[in-house]
Amino acid sequence: MHGTRRTRETPEAIKARKEREQSKLKEYLSLTDHVMARKKSSDWSKEAFDATTKLLQINPEFYTVWNYRRNVMLNGLFMNSTPDIINDILSEDLSMTTAALKAHPKVYWIWNHRRWCLENVPEGPAGTQDWKKANWNRELAVVEKMLDADARNFHAWNYRRYVLANTPEQRPETAELAYTTRKIEANFSNFSAWHQRSKVYVSLWESGKLNKDKCIEAELELVKNAMYTDPNDQSAWLYHRWLIGDGQNHHILASEIAAIEELLEEQPDSKWCLESLVHYRRLLVRNHAMVIGKEESERILRQCIEFLQQLQTLDTPRKRRYQDILDRLSVAKQ
Amino acid sequence: MPLDKLYVDKHVAYIKSLGENKDDLTYHLTAHLRMNAIYWGLTALSIMKHKDALDRDEMIEYVMSCWDDEAGAFGPHPDHDPHILSTLSAIQILTMQDALYRVDVPRVVKFILSLQQPSGVFAGDSFGEIDTRFSYIAVNALSLLGHLHELDVDRTVQYILACKNYDGGFGNVIGAESHSGQVFVCVAALAILDRLDVIDEEMLGWWLAERQLPNGGLNGRPEKLEDVCYSFWVLSALATLKKIPWIDSDKLTAFILSAQDPENGGIADRPGDMVDVFHTHFGIAGLSLLGYPGLEDLDPVYCMPASLIEARGLRKGWEALPRRTAA
Ligand SMILES: [Zn+2]
Repeated sequence: MHGTRRTRETPEAIKARKEREQSKLKEYLSLTDHVMARKKSSDWSKEAFDATTKLLQINPEFYTVWNYRRNVMLNGLFMNSTPDIINDILSEDLSMTTAALKAHPKVYWIWNHRRWCLENVPEGPAGTQDWKKANWNRELAVVEKMLDADARNFHAWNYRRYVLANTPEQRPETAELAYTTRKIEANFSNFSAWHQRSKVYVSLWESGKLNKDKCIEAELELVKNAMYTDPNDQSAWLYHRWLIGDGQNHHILASEIAAIEELLEEQPDSKWCLESLVHYRRLLVRNHAMVIGKEESERILRQCIEFLQQLQTLDTPRKRRYQDILDRLSVAKQ
Repeated sequence: MPLDKLYVDKHVAYIKSLGENKDDLTYHLTAHLRMNAIYWGLTALSIMKHKDALDRDEMIEYVMSCWDDEAGAFGPHPDHDPHILSTLSAIQILTMQDALYRVDVPRVVKFILSLQQPSGVFAGDSFGEIDTRFSYIAVNALSLLGHLHELDVDRTVQYILACKNYDGGFGNVIGAESHSGQVFVCVAALAILDRLDVIDEEMLGWWLAERQLPNGGLNGRPEKLEDVCYSFWVLSALATLKKIPWIDSDKLTAFILSAQDPENGGIADRPGDMVDVFHTHFGIAGLSLLGYPGLEDLDPVYCMPASLIEARGLRKGWEALPRRTAA
């Protein structure tokens, strides 16, 4: 159980609670038996469907019942229904699971059921996509509400990507960029939003819709903002590392090193400044040794060693990692 | 009571008591996790050297009562639908109880292989939810059953690789954010398939080491709270990469111990919370990898007693901390 505080119950309190629970328990068990008996006899009736609604409202984790519910729809409710009735049933299930998600935002089975519902929405009247569009468009609003409630819910982010990829009315990907900007500006620590941003950019670059070099420049500005706001926040540093990548661009690498050095002057004990400088300077030496020359390379590596030693006292839990890098640097020097 | 030692007797008693709560609503609301819960309980007991605290025959009969003859797989509870999650737990339990002979192996293998999708990822059941968790489960189960050679390894690895992010970690599907739990399953699957070469060890090792928070606990993603279960997942991946020393193991040990309920037994997600068998299992599994005195070795890749995996010739090249002797 996640995040439920422990309470000390006396034996009497436990007994009293169990007595109070008795009627609920009996009701739950008899409802379970009832649904399972119908399932066993391949009952695809509306009554069976309603019974699953009742049971799932008590226990949305009971995936067997979600499975049964879908089978009741496929083999029963849908069989003699016109497409508009099927659409109504599915839309209603989407509404029902919206309510369920509010109470249980991390239950995989509810999210799965929504996907199934969406994928089974029939074509609209006269072959139009109207019903599909209406249902899928509503999903984006639902998932945005879920992310307003918990901006790091990975179920919601995954679902968001799923909806964006499959919705019949595709939005321009730049709209998603704007969404992540909003999320990041609301909270720089939201790594989920930074992550999403990196994925959207890759897609936009690969399709040629945006110019990578120009984007990177603007992104470095945004992330610098975040780094200065809270130099201890990992999210921005991780994203920064993505922007730098393998450090092939000498100009960017050098100017970012200078920018972090500036921040380090303000925050001389910043672990993330030191750590990143070690990483980027090693990239500089590895990729651009020809440009910077032997002497400068050696000076930079000496600085790295100094910083790693400083990190070992600043960030003791990870001192062995810094030692491993130090060992590798001294082997390389020999 | 001080929280600087492991209350083995209390935890054994707690796990034994779990089956006696049939008048408790929560017991019934979690029926869909029963098979997993037995695996968690049995593994924790084995690591604490109290494997016999639960009745073996009763356990095997329960597992077999969850066999779905139509699907050729196990559900978590009699009459519940079969799923790859409960099927792996069943195989793990039967392996630990030396009762795999009860299983119709060819049928289970067929069930598992039937869940592989064209992209290479596995679905959890016939309804088609996909997740790298299920890929790991398939790989783990096929390996335990001695049928890994029937797997399309390249396709399986290809999908896992497609879930790799720039931070070195893995998500549950393509495009998803890195998450300790997914890192555990992806790294362990790659270890079993002898394909750790596709991992960016430096980057991932760094990401994993940065999961440790000042209180010693580990989190599942950047800027999130620590949790005993995430602590295990991170630790397992670090063990597989032979990098446990990259975090402060004393602080992590203290964090896990502090999440115990010293009176009624069990371990919670974090100090002061309600205990459950899931966190009890992952807490004890983590302590084993950290070399805590008096425990059995745990295999971080299969998340089962190491001696058992070794005896089957399945051990991979992981490194846990050496077992300490009690002070
Ligand atoms: Zn947890």
